[in-house]
Amino acid sequence: MNKAMEASRELKAMDELATLKSPIHSFCPLSKLLTTIFYIVVVMSFHKYDIVGLVVLILFPLIVYSISTISVSTCFKKLRLVLPLVILVGLFNPFFDKDVLFHIGTFAVTGGMVSMVTLMMKGVFSLMASFILIATTPIEEICSAMRKLFVPRILVVLILLTYRYIGIMLDEVAIMYDSYMLRAPRQNGIHVSAWGSFLGQLILRSMDKATSLYESMNLRGFKGEYDYRFTREKNRFSKLYAAIFCLLILVCRFYNIPSLIGSLFT
Amino acid sequence: MIELQNVSYSYSDDKKSLNSVSFKINRGERVGLIGANGAGKSTLLKSLVGLITTEGSIKVDDITLSNKTLSEVRKKIGYVIQDSDNQMFMPTVIDDMVFGPINYGMSKPDALEKATKMLETLGISHLKDRYNHKISAGEKKMASIATILTMEPDVLMMDEPSAALDPHNRRVLINMLNKIPLTKIIASHDLDFILDTCDRVLLIRDGQIVADGKVDDILTDKILLEANSLELPFCLQGRN
Repeated sequence: MNKAMEASRELKAMDELATLKSPIHSFCPLSKLLTTIFYIVVVMSFHKYDIVGLVVLILFPLIVYSISTISVSTCFKKLRLVLPLVILVGLFNPFFDKDVLFHIGTFAVTGGMVSMVTLMMKGVFSLMASFILIATTPIEEICSAMRKLFVPRILVVLILLTYRYIGIMLDEVAIMYDSYMLRAPRQNGIHVSAWGSFLGQLILRSMDKATSLYESMNLRGFKGEYDYRFTREKNRFSKLYAAIFCLLILVCRFYNIPSLIGSLFT
Repeated sequence: MIELQNVSYSYSDDKKSLNSVSFKINRGERVGLIGANGAGKSTLLKSLVGLITTEGSIKVDDITLSNKTLSEVRKKIGYVIQDSDNQMFMPTVIDDMVFGPINYGMSKPDALEKATKMLETLGISHLKDRYNHKISAGEKKMASIATILTMEPDVLMMDEPSAALDPHNRRVLINMLNKIPLTKIIASHDLDFILDTCDRVLLIRDGQIVADGKVDDILTDKILLEANSLELPFCLQGRN
């Protein structure tokens, strides 16, 4: 199987994950979206040196993952291409911020090192929370929730159709790649001389397909509003879910839980 | 039911894809639209649901097709496009089936009930919660027809419905279509399929209707068919 086909399958597998059955899956998308946004905002609000305070925030994704029956390793596996980018973000901090904050033995820990780790943690935590939202909520439901938050219709439709378009494009890449490789057996990939025409053909083909899909939507009365995904009953404890987790996140934000736990033993 | 008068269309070049096409289809008729590749079959179907803007007049139940009446006409004519992958864009079959009815104002529970009943009627209830990308081409074709029928159209219009189907699924589709009491327009160059599902045939060549008559008359006319890059249905060829 070529890489494009694999990517396309992974994308479709996200749809499957989103329709599994678990308490988290059954909560209303708006509650989940709001909780995730709230979590990311709180994570981002931590000071760049506040590693200890931030560490506790891992609790939210870990609890949600365990309830949702989706493993954390699935998240890291699916996000393997994005995670290095997140980690790269803070990589240069140690070179700019060289103030020594504390020592571990004889090793001087600088502000840059701490802020690098904090930045990485913020990125990873946010990605984990976003992933569990996407993995437990179909894209249509997320879009529907965004509309309830008054995100402009055009933007929501754009997100939704882009998501679907990526799948179509990957399928087309897979077909074209296979067709190319069948006639170029000694090549490791697409030769640079064919890149231009390959890309041009890809755009034309995927646009053709996307047009056909859009026509099919139009023929069934699509007018740019999405609110259809409803086949599963929504859990009546959705608001409670949002309230409890937002409270937990707030507690973690304003109380230094590790210090409090530590004080119990000293 | 459907009336076309002098309908013409060209895809930006000089050659007309539809050239002054006129015909009437009455309620309950089962019409096969046949012709060689590029004859204009798909263009004609697209014109009937306003996917392309043509010259001339198209009326469906006395409603003249225009931008204002587009939604009304599309509610009346259910169009099953050739590639089921493009028709089925939601994650699961049931999601796809309720897409149309809800857009046309049906309540969510009603749409779900209607979709479930339609699946039962067509004998494909097992597909209800299946993922679209995991069902076979034959199942996808059945499901795509179900998505259109859930909208309760007056006319079922299909473009090459038997393409990519194996003989068994093709037969299942024929039996299913013959049980649906709707006006049907089926574009295909699978003439055996047309023979099994239609009463009347429109033969199109270079965007013009060159023959219009009973299926038994046109599909047995070897000279007419061969002059239009077609041939007798296999079942009438008497091959050993």
